Amino acid sequence: MFQTPTGAPCAMIDSLIAGFGEALTLWNLLFIAAGITLGIVIGVIPGLGSVTALAVLIPVTYYMSPLAAIAFLVGVNKGGTSGGAVPAILLNSPGTPEAAATALDGYPMAKRGESLRALKFALYSSVTGDTISDVLLIVLVVPFAAVALQFGPLEYTAVLLFAFALLAGISGDSPIKGLLAIALGVFLSTLGLDPVDGSQRMVFNEVNLYDGLPLISIAVGALAMASVLGQIFDLWRGGERRGSKEEYARVRTRLPAREFFGHWKTIGRSALIGSGVGMLPGLGVTLAAFLSYGAARRASKTPESFGKGNPEGIIATEAANSAVVGANLVPTIALGVPGNIAAALLIGAFIIHGIVPGPFMLQQHGELIYALFASMLMANGVHLLIGRIGIPLWATIARTPRAVILPPVLVLCIVGVYLPNQSLFGVGVMLVFAGLGLVMQRLGFSVVCLVIGFLLGGMLENSLRQSLRLYRADITAVFDSPIAIAFLALTVIILVRAIRRV
Amino acid sequence: MMNLAPNRVAAAAAVTALACGLAAPALAEYPDKPVTLIIPYKAGGSTETMGRIYSKALGTALGARVIVRTRPGAGGAVGATEVAKKKPDGYTLLFAASVTLLWPPLTQKVEYTADSFTYIGQVTDYQMALIAKADAPFNTMKELVAHAKKNSLSYADQGAMQRAFIDYIGVREGVKWIGIPTKGGGEMVPFLLGGKVNFAWSGGVHQRYGNKMKVLLSFNKGRLAASPKAPSMPELYGVSMPSHALIAGPKGMDPAVVAKISAAMKTATADPAFVGLMKNKLRFPINYVGSKELTADIEKTTEGLKQVVKATQK
Repeated sequence: MFQTPTGAPCAMIDSLIAGFGEALTLWNLLFIAAGITLGIVIGVIPGLGSVTALAVLIPVTYYMSPLAAIAFLVGVNKGGTSGGAVPAILLNSPGTPEAAATALDGYPMAKRGESLRALKFALYSSVTGDTISDVLLIVLVVPFAAVALQFGPLEYTAVLLFAFALLAGISGDSPIKGLLAIALGVFLSTLGLDPVDGSQRMVFNEVNLYDGLPLISIAVGALAMASVLGQIFDLWRGGERRGSKEEYARVRTRLPAREFFGHWKTIGRSALIGSGVGMLPGLGVTLAAFLSYGAARRASKTPESFGKGNPEGIIATEAANSAVVGANLVPTIALGVPGNIAAALLIGAFIIHGIVPGPFMLQQHGELIYALFASMLMANGVHLLIGRIGIPLWATIARTPRAVILPPVLVLCIVGVYLPNQSLFGVGVMLVFAGLGLVMQRLGFSVVCLVIGFLLGGMLENSLRQSLRLYRADITAVFDSPIAIAFLALTVIILVRAIRRV
Repeated sequence: MMNLAPNRVAAAAAVTALACGLAAPALAEYPDKPVTLIIPYKAGGSTETMGRIYSKALGTALGARVIVRTRPGAGGAVGATEVAKKKPDGYTLLFAASVTLLWPPLTQKVEYTADSFTYIGQVTDYQMALIAKADAPFNTMKELVAHAKKNSLSYADQGAMQRAFIDYIGVREGVKWIGIPTKGGGEMVPFLLGGKVNFAWSGGVHQRYGNKMKVLLSFNKGRLAASPKAPSMPELYGVSMPSHALIAGPKGMDPAVVAKISAAMKTATADPAFVGLMKNKLRFPINYVGSKELTADIEKTTEGLKQVVKATQK
């Protein structure tokens, strides 16, 4: 078998120190700071989250070095995830679904005059949860990659089916609708040249379609643009409904570190829940936030105080949703299978910069990965600093009318999709998917399922067809692989449970 | 970084043509404006890295700015189509692997053929080989074929052309083996070292794995510099894979302009930054070949490709 670049723990620490040496440059710090600031700004805008932030900002990184680009995007992801807490607390309108649970206790706190304290609770929890998750990532990724080397096409096929089942089980109105959206995504992924014999499938002699539909167009169109368009329609129909003019007297503003860390049990539990969810492919940040909120309420001595301004509610949500950010890079780096949409967009960015995620990424780009880990740890410090200093600024942005903010975001979507290939074809595809995304949203189909189905569909076809050829289409090959059996069994159990619940 | 939009380049070309009068030898002073070098692959790959560094040296040697533009898609066919349709004035050139120009016209529906281009010069050869794990129970092609007659073998390929060539060997030797498609060297390596496949096609990644892999055959015209003991495909089967990394322009370029670019290419291949990249990072041997020799070689390679397609595709 092969050696992973770091055999012993001390070797890992050496690599990490070398990573810090590589990552600790002024430029890199500037890019991280820029990424976090932009991420928070976009996250603070109600309705936009880390996915939109990533989708819009990836094209900006084409002209950076790989490390700066990835560090920048990780910063965007961190900032975008934590920024959603600001409008949740101040306006009771969460910037992102993952911050929805933050509003439950954050908004009552703000009404009590403790808005600054609530914002600080949110920020400190985000940074702490994120740091715990980053440490877990660094510790776990090497053993995980070693296990991943045992993964052949058959095992990948089983894992991908498992991811689809998990995803369908938790999203949208019903698992059936989730499965339908995934199936549509998988179907769309089959456009283009056949991966085995290179024959043309549904390309209609359009050379732009030979590589299939462009992922970035679908992601930006169906996720970012559809959500922005949806909000614009709502504004047009109903006018702006915001509690934005409410200002509350500030009664308590201070939050001493000792008081914050007095909640260490909740912080730790939430970070672990967030990391656990983040490591499973296909599960989202939103799920982590709600699971963690529920767990905190159950563990609390005063569960009735939740929803009335208990800071534990904020801690549980924010620590968990930020903890997903680091942990979802474990399957991303080790398997090349993204944990969620944000990680999927990161994979796209990795590939653009010549790095192919998967078990060999650590071997071939070990220095870069450890520099990335170092950047992530540094980004947490930067995040704390910028987040803390910027609190008054974020509050102002959260109160800016959406009518002012949404149109420029639309323009950014178009420019972002046009730039990488400088082709209007991608822009056209994006517009089609913006329309499709809007319709799906209104009908209760999960757009996330569609995009993940599309993204993993190509991988599924590749692995499945590799397995069929490799084992000469002999179904009994499955029984020789315990990993495949385990994942296929889990898939069946999850699907049966999800469908019986309906 | 600024990239000129193609239509602006075209507009500028039109204006120049008008200003010089249509009959005047406008190319006498080539190049009098920036040259666009299209690389039809995604940023970050070895050809793109090579092209970017090379373009700087080429610009210096040519005495003009060379602007690199990536136009990825369909394994390079999108960018190749674009260049094939451009005016053959020497201001739009293509930096690509010859495979991109020769293989798609034979097997897919594309809007160009191998004859749609003027072949200006070659820069290097990709190091393509048939490889096996170091402890595989065969050391030569002969032993591999003998092994395949007794066992059902699988191999990892990275595209339809590679599969066609390996199946062509199968046809010639009277054995059948099954190709497993993999996406690039990053996926092929775990398949080979993890024992999922018996042998594999490699585009050069094996050079980084030293004694973990062995080379049985060179798919190039000649033997590989790093593995001189392994025979080349023409020695055994009379055909070779297109291995050239080259610069081409649209069909019908002025021979004087071709000669000028070709000469600049020769100078540029000696550029220290380019030599350093090739030697230390990519490990491809620099192999400059001029227009005339390259065109003849391309013709010969195309004949071989047709033979392979005929034998393997029904």
